[in-house]
Amino acid sequence: MTPRIPDTHAEAWALLPWLANGRIAPEDREWVEAHVQTCAECRAELAAQRMVATQVTRDEAAAPQTAASEEQRSFNKLWARIEASESASMPISGTGAAAGGARSSRAVRWLAAAVVVQAVGLGALGLALNGSNRGGGYETVTTVDPLTGSRPGAPAVTLVFAPNTPINTINTMLEHQGLSIVAGPGLQGNFKAELSPDAVASGATAESVVAVLKKDPHVTFADSIAR
Amino acid sequence: MPLQSVENPNTRAVATPVNDASERELLERIARSKDQAAFRSLYGNYYQRLSRLLARMSVRREDIEEVINDTFWVVWTKAAEFRGASQLSTWIIGIAYRRALNALRRAKLRPVADQPFDEDSVSVGSSEEEETNTQWLSLGLERLPVEQRMALELTYTLGHSCEEVAAILDCPVNTVKTRLFRARETLKQVLPELAGMSGEKS
Repeated sequence: MTPRIPDTHAEAWALLPWLANGRIAPEDREWVEAHVQTCAECRAELAAQRMVATQVTRDEAAAPQTAASEEQRSFNKLWARIEASESASMPISGTGAAAGGARSSRAVRWLAAAVVVQAVGLGALGLALNGSNRGGGYETVTTVDPLTGSRPGAPAVTLVFAPNTPINTINTMLEHQGLSIVAGPGLQGNFKAELSPDAVASGATAESVVAVLKKDPHVTFADSIAR
Repeated sequence: MPLQSVENPNTRAVATPVNDASERELLERIARSKDQAAFRSLYGNYYQRLSRLLARMSVRREDIEEVINDTFWVVWTKAAEFRGASQLSTWIIGIAYRRALNALRRAKLRPVADQPFDEDSVSVGSSEEEETNTQWLSLGLERLPVEQRMALELTYTLGHSCEEVAAILDCPVNTVKTRLFRARETLKQVLPELAGMSGEKS
């Protein structure tokens, strides 16, 4: 590639601002500096541009800085907006924007952990019940899955909770309805919950609890699962 | 994801293109793990710079925060898409510039180039020559169309190269040179000392 040898006054003149600010391209610096050495007009213009640069920089330095508290307040507003957006995208985990996906995955992991704890507890309860059943010398109609607490044939519902619903609120809601989560979350943030034998004995059905849950602001989706 | 109060240690730092490597690291942390502390730090690196730049663009004070936050909303959501073909600062300031133009359109504000120049508003009686020059320069800058003003601000205040200014303003390099050429000519009309210097022709 043949080196570019521009030597016109106009080209050098146009590049003087970047000679003044020190950001002129390396391939231009040498010839522009050489031209300035021989051109009084460009020397005067370079001096003028350096003065402008100095003045602008001084003006910038003298400008009142925004208070750190104001910057933090602005950032907090932005962060709240990000959180709100990512919370809103939670039910479509895996299909939303990258940010929403990350947010959702964290929330889902947290809920999943809660479900695991709950399932382990139910599993232990199931094992205990099995043990007592054996000791009692009679068979139960259903067998509790020791890992999930699921009972084959138990009335079940699918649920999606509203974003940011506290785990305590979810647990209270489930307890009131006689529900226990046995699976989830799915790709859409959905959980499977089953009615306890006591709830069934008291007349609750999947359809009846779905009707109640649909009115709960902490539930964005509820439907019965056909057995 | 609880909101943490992360104070930015670089709030008053003068950021220049040489900070690109460390800022790219922050961006990678944002892209990789949605790191709030990295995001806060990057936000702080640009908050003052963008505030001043947007004020120079005549963006209304109440719109400046919105423009900055819109810009960093894009940074947060598109961090993984930044390919590094340009300086990170070029990318971020370019986003802010386009958002600011939208804000100006929304506010039906226009550059003040056509406004009459009130020379009486300059306090030439100041004993401080520098202060006088600064006042003249501020008035001169206000006379410039926004595109010329931005070319000058990006070059002198933020220290960008011609190519970087072109990338930020999304225009050819020659357009940047032309805008700055015209800006220089306008400033000479209002800044007496500047005109005197350029008049020292051989």
